[in-house]
Amino acid sequence: MQPPPTTPVQTPAPQPRHLSALVLSVPVAMGYIPLGTAFGFLFVQAGAPWWLAVVASSIVFAGAAQFMMVPMLAAGLPLATIALATLVVNLRHIFYGLSLLHKLPAQPWARWYLVFALTDETYSVLTTLPADTPARQMVAVALLNQGWWLLGTLLGAVIGAQAQVGWVGLDFALAALFAVLAVEQWRSAHSTAPLWVAVVSYGVALTVLPQQALLVAIGLCVLTALALPKTKPAPQNHNVSGHPASAAKDRA
Amino acid sequence: MIDTTYALGALGAMAAVTFGLRALPFLAARFLQSHPLVQRLGRFLPLAIMTLLLLHTLVGSARDNPSGPWAELAAVATVIVLQGWRRQALLSILTGTALYVLMRNY
Repeated sequence: MQPPPTTPVQTPAPQPRHLSALVLSVPVAMGYIPLGTAFGFLFVQAGAPWWLAVVASSIVFAGAAQFMMVPMLAAGLPLATIALATLVVNLRHIFYGLSLLHKLPAQPWARWYLVFALTDETYSVLTTLPADTPARQMVAVALLNQGWWLLGTLLGAVIGAQAQVGWVGLDFALAALFAVLAVEQWRSAHSTAPLWVAVVSYGVALTVLPQQALLVAIGLCVLTALALPKTKPAPQNHNVSGHPASAAKDRA
Repeated sequence: MIDTTYALGALGAMAAVTFGLRALPFLAARFLQSHPLVQRLGRFLPLAIMTLLLLHTLVGSARDNPSGPWAELAAVATVIVLQGWRRQALLSILTGTALYVLMRNY
């Protein structure tokens, strides 16, 4: 959500560059606890038992996809549709790994848990850690982040199971989250072309095939990105993995 | 009521897809790193997809709103301005959502 604090908070330790995992995950907690609460609440209000919300946050652990699935499950959409929508919503995660290839620890358990837990926010914290960060600390940050998400989910599920809230519009939190992430992407983007291409693509898709507007629009964006003349070569774009500054679009 | 078996199946599928996507770069690293088109997509798509997700959820909300898209537009403008100005994600999200809930219910 916010960049982790850069000032060492009262660290008498000899290496002030290494902030504790807890300090690093505090900004994430500020976002994950309320968002997780919103997810648990909405899911239970949509008719799911509380423990199902906890299972979702344990095994899926992808904020936007979890919000997206609430109306889809409530509508009883086919599994293939839900899987495809998850693919579309989480497609961006492919590009996160590219900038972390050499950064994640080699020990299998640590490496694969971090891969599993590579949410937008965990990614943004990991990219800011110094290269010699021990595996234990990286795993601790990811575990804490998922812990905040689970805590929020549980809170929301318990509240949602008891409250009969007549308000509509709480799910706007998701649109607001996307708006925040879009602003942050825009801030770190090389150009604003993707934004305009996306707007036009969505307009076209909505006219041509309104039922599948999102999917069609993403297709159009991919085609446009591939067809666009090569933009001015950014100084570091010959190497994605070696340059966190170019590939690690800090977000969230 | 959401059927539990069905929901568990969906969650399993979602977990597999999500993990697959997150793991792909680590499994296909050499291909992805050497392919200029993949790199171009990696620079272009994040902002494009986030914009699309925003538009899509806004259109969805506006469709459910009998009194037109003005509440959605006002709330999202608030979020964008707040985020651009203060850079506090939580503040932006909570303010925008609260404003929207107020406009829709009162």
